[in-house]
Amino acid sequence: MVFLRSEEHLARWLGATGLPVGASMPARTLHELARRWWWTRLEPDWRSRAPVESQRILDDLGLTGEFWRLS
Amino acid sequence: MDELDLRIRNHIYSSFVRDGTAAAPAETAEELELAETKVSDAYRRLHDAHALVLEPGSLRIRMLNPFSVVETPHRVRCAGRSWFANCAWDALGIPAALHADGRVASACPDCAEPLELEVVDGSLARGGELLVHFVVPARRWWDDIGFT
Repeated sequence: MVFLRSEEHLARWLGATGLPVGASMPARTLHELARRWWWTRLEPDWRSRAPVESQRILDDLGLTGEFWRLS
Repeated sequence: MDELDLRIRNHIYSSFVRDGTAAAPAETAEELELAETKVSDAYRRLHDAHALVLEPGSLRIRMLNPFSVVETPHRVRCAGRSWFANCAWDALGIPAALHADGRVASACPDCAEPLELEVVDGSLARGGELLVHFVVPARRWWDDIGFT
């Protein structure tokens, strides 16, 4: 998962590397995803999250469809 | 994950955040007054449970997500310290995990120009216009977490 300057840079990078086209989002969306995903990581009562909860975080941010299915 | 593994996991994370170093099993065993073999087994189970990532064929920790133990292209200044993140997602995850403001320094893999993002009071104050790309679909993230 990388930050890129723009769609134009993304297209050029994918072309140069031969990597498949995956999924893109604005950094603002990733920031919200990071907040929800990592917020409790260092808390003393941390427990591993159930896959259904992780899927809900993705779904709630509109990250839906086959690419975003965890299982 | 049982209580022993959770205790060891929490100790690894808290000592990493405190000291910036990922404890080897022998150190964790000494600090928690446990047998080293028990702790080594727990490290392997935590790796298998995706609670941390070990170097291949080793008990050396590579990732304590969102933190990277090894140098990466994603550097994060947060809570008075400098950290490495495993990827773009984890770079923004470090200020979230530490509940603090943070500055991310990365680079566009196309043009190599530096990119900066800044989190202030829980909001993305700088870098919101940048793009993020995921190459690997979600169900395959853990097939090769280093590549992901």
